[in-house]
Amino acid sequence: SWRSSLGPPCERPGERRGAEMKKLYGKDAPKIIAMETAMQLTFDRNCDLKKPKYWPVIPLKL
Amino acid sequence: MMQCGWPLLGPLQWIRYVNRQVMVKAGNDEEHRGWLLTVDPVSASLVLVTFREEGRASVQVVMGHAVEEVQVLQEADEETTRRLQTSFLPARTCGLDP
Amino acid sequence: SIPTSAASEADPEQLQQEQHARSVLRESFLRCLLSMNSKKVQFHMHEKVKLEATFGASDIDVLNFQVSDLHTPIGVQKEALIRCQDVISFTFDV
Repeated sequence: SWRSSLGPPCERPGERRGAEMKKLYGKDAPKIIAMETAMQLTFDRNCDLKKPKYWPVIPLKL
Repeated sequence: MMQCGWPLLGPLQWIRYVNRQVMVKAGNDEEHRGWLLTVDPVSASLVLVTFREEGRASVQVVMGHAVEEVQVLQEADEETTRRLQTSFLPARTCGLDP
Repeated sequence: SIPTSAASEADPEQLQQEQHARSVLRESFLRCLLSMNSKKVQFHMHEKVKLEATFGASDIDVLNFQVSDLHTPIGVQKEALIRCQDVISFTFDV
């Protein structure tokens, strides 16, 4: 699936990701999260809209 | 300077390559040269910029997983650094150097 | 996820430096990806495959690129996803 791997839904991924991001990016975490959220939203929306298929069908590099 | 395990170096090492002209070997037979704009800390991918005439530039992104070797060729002078950091991206909110 | 270095775990000052470096690098990379929207991009893939496409978007984990008008060796695919693992490098002009 092309959906981003944010973890199983039962784990409250938003919260877990927030803590992870804070550890990685410190005080800049909110800025990076905002940029990433916008980018992922565009990606998800484009995929929903355009229904792209993988090329090639089988990965070149296994 | 030979670098093994490029994806494992980490931000404090990667940032030392920023604003340097580097030669990157990738995927067995590719060789890229350019000024290093940044390294993605998630994928270890390198963004290289090559300046062309009339303020145009070409950007090469080398995926971190394919990197075989990174060599520093030279440091950017002030003008190149300025051009690199402002040429195609919106104005930065903070400088690279502490 | 990305490991923080062992040294940074022990030293708060170094942890902050590492977080700052990571933010600067990541922000710059995200801006680069955003600037590629609607640009013609040449992809160099493994197995010596070369592709041209109009860039759409990347997912944040840099696993997939969503592109349009992908020129493959066997024709044009209108809408496509490219696995980043298949890609060695890609080029575009600014």
